[in-house]
Amino acid sequence: MLTHSEIFPGIHLRCVQDRRFKHSALSLQYIRPMCREEAAMNALIPSVLLRGCKSAPDLRQITQRLDDLYGAAVSPISRRAGDWQTTGLYLSLMDDRFAREGEALTEQAMDFLKELLFAYPEENGGFLPEFVEGEKINQIYAIEAEFNDKRAYCAQQLLKNMCREDSFGVPRMGEREDVEAITPQSLLSHYRRLRRESQIEILYVGSAAPERMAGLVRKLFAEEDRAPLPLPAQSCLRLSKAADLSERMELTQGKLCMGFVTPVTAKDPGFPAMQLLCAVFGGDVTSKLFRNIREKQSLCYSIGAGYYSAKGIVLVSAGIDFDREAHVREEVLRQLDACRRGEITEEELTAARASLISALESVPDSPGALESYYSSMVLGGSGLDPQAHRKALEAVTPEDLTRAADSLTPHSTCFLKGVSQ
Amino acid sequence: MTGTSYPKLDETVYRKVLPNGLRLAVVPKPGFAKKQAYFVTDFGSIHTHFRFEGREYTVPAGIAHYLEHKMFDLPGGRDVSAEFAAYGASSNAFTSYDMTAYYFSCTDHFDESLRLLLEFVSTPHFTAESVEKERGIIDQEIGMNLDAPDSVVFENLAKAMYERHPIRIPILGTAETIREITPENLTLCHKAFYTPGNMMLCVMGDVDPEAVEKAAREILGDGKGEVGEKIRDWDESMTCAQGDVGDAMEVAMPTFTLAFKCPAPGKGDAAIRQEFLADLAAETLFGESSELYLKLYDEGIIDSSFGGGYETIDGCALFTCGGDSMDPEAVRKAVLSAAQDFSGISRTAFDRMKRSAFGRRIKGLDSFDATCFRLCAYAFSDFDYFRFPEIYKTIQKEDVEEFLKQTLRAENSCLSVIFPVREGDEEI
Repeated sequence: MLTHSEIFPGIHLRCVQDRRFKHSALSLQYIRPMCREEAAMNALIPSVLLRGCKSAPDLRQITQRLDDLYGAAVSPISRRAGDWQTTGLYLSLMDDRFAREGEALTEQAMDFLKELLFAYPEENGGFLPEFVEGEKINQIYAIEAEFNDKRAYCAQQLLKNMCREDSFGVPRMGEREDVEAITPQSLLSHYRRLRRESQIEILYVGSAAPERMAGLVRKLFAEEDRAPLPLPAQSCLRLSKAADLSERMELTQGKLCMGFVTPVTAKDPGFPAMQLLCAVFGGDVTSKLFRNIREKQSLCYSIGAGYYSAKGIVLVSAGIDFDREAHVREEVLRQLDACRRGEITEEELTAARASLISALESVPDSPGALESYYSSMVLGGSGLDPQAHRKALEAVTPEDLTRAADSLTPHSTCFLKGVSQ
Repeated sequence: MTGTSYPKLDETVYRKVLPNGLRLAVVPKPGFAKKQAYFVTDFGSIHTHFRFEGREYTVPAGIAHYLEHKMFDLPGGRDVSAEFAAYGASSNAFTSYDMTAYYFSCTDHFDESLRLLLEFVSTPHFTAESVEKERGIIDQEIGMNLDAPDSVVFENLAKAMYERHPIRIPILGTAETIREITPENLTLCHKAFYTPGNMMLCVMGDVDPEAVEKAAREILGDGKGEVGEKIRDWDESMTCAQGDVGDAMEVAMPTFTLAFKCPAPGKGDAAIRQEFLADLAAETLFGESSELYLKLYDEGIIDSSFGGGYETIDGCALFTCGGDSMDPEAVRKAVLSAAQDFSGISRTAFDRMKRSAFGRRIKGLDSFDATCFRLCAYAFSDFDYFRFPEIYKTIQKEDVEEFLKQTLRAENSCLSVIFPVREGDEEI
């Protein structure tokens, strides 16, 4: 069961107490509006914090502290949640009961988090320049490395282009030039503002009781001087004018991505139907796209559809031969038309529904899955817990699916093709 | 079935070897909805040379992976994936250099899904037409792999380091070798290596071990078949077959793997001890608390993608590090010089590393998927994975120091790099 308490104004602790696990997961996220001005800084802050604190001033000593906690891991988080962006830290920790001398690992880990978050070294009114410059380079590399995974790159180019006027088009790590412009001073002043003004979400999954966690969180923020502001509301997608993209590069296989839009988002009562439709259309190996385009016609190696429910965008991605672009596009639209006409077999529907429900039922079986599910549920998601979500999926009728398919409109595409094409 | 309890891990495993030779392991997880099953054969892409029913065979490279694809066809046009899906189970498979695994996870209809898993993996059904059709799909997969820098960097490395061992050839085979795959040689491999005596079934979840055994015996029968005898004619010297390798691809930044060739550790406790010890050695040298990591990270030569480890594949072992770097050559220089200057590990640092490795393995047990996989993979190396705490106890810091001394030599190392194309040659 998820418990919730507001420890201090704007500081929310949510806990799932579960003694079955061998480790716990905890996320601590500052919630920000997703915007070009902040994205690069919000993504950079946790990496800079993880470079050193006063009691563990370099990477080596940080790792040693984590090793002492039986291989605990703290990693940076910066997630997109609709029109919001989160920034913070994620902790995964072995359960106390396996510690050799019965150490209270949770207390020790929370103390360490506090040092990482607030006891960072400063210089000339900024973070340490070597930390900031080093992590800026890493972030620029990470932005450029997105280019290496061609399927993801293709999808990203398309999304960026569809959402030029929407927060969804803002890259999660910012653009290269935004990162370059950051100084140790500008970053620290932004972090101070964020510590003071942001809403904070802490999600814990593990064996500790919510009261114990509440005490630890209270201690964590006891000295913080805060004046939290409310968050801007989530908005509908501001869609840009359609424009098809294509890019030539050294590739063995072409990558095609087709973008569709729907007014149905995670907040909409039609959300479960849209989610189920996407599973029927392009979810997994039993979906229409996979069965017909890959299996029956051997037109591609991989194909699938993804639903960005915060904004009502559906992307179909496929790895194909360069000369099959037109053919595959046509086939994808034909399969969508079949959904619109209600040509969905009992078998297709059962399989898609069973697969979504099975995934939901497995959520309570892993600290990581629970953290991620509840985190997105709370942060501008559907608001449905796994049980309610399951019920809603069970209630979807074939007519709901037809309606969902009807609401999907093709918008634009992106194609990565070989240099010699 | 007999249960063994592991109080340090808070787990119990029920094990049995069935009359047909199948190794069975069930890890009951009361209170969990998820159930996971792995059905694995000790047969991977490198096992292309073997003796069976009195004859010697060499089969085309890539056949283990091709076979994995074709197992999903059942007689009468039945679609295995669709049947799993109807139970709400999600199923998949993968082929590695030395094993092939079929698995599913579900929350409901476990018994039906388990029976389906056992049935489809034990039912060969290869028609000329369906084998032909698969070629197109696998050709595409090979193509996709050629666009993946991480695969190419390792495949280039293996080819450069090994002269005889079949790790030289990609798991998928090549467009040429897969032309040679026929219903006949697929059937042969299935008969030789998909017999229960060469396989293992591992289940994790809130299930009854006896029911798992019952399903396995009913579907697979009690008959024991001959197991193909792998011919491991791949004696290798410890020097590398050729020098460094480089390739240009569409990447943003160079990506590299630096590897040191090691003697294959073999099987059993000693081999696993060697593996854990080598992992600690990798942690000592390349881990985030190492001097080397700190220095290279501070200089901006590596980023958090950098890491090292020890990989064993039937008949070979590699001590590696890699990641993205603007200057892979500088990383190599630093590694070799760190090896030269290495003066040993402090007792505190060593204990801390062991504690951390232990904790990470405990945490890993929360993943059913990873745990089933490890139980199978280690069982094929004649080791019970859940005995890892006692293996750690036997490893001393001197063992790790000695390993590093023996392993880190320039003459048994090789650097594989993928450089960015772009600038200058983008429009042809």
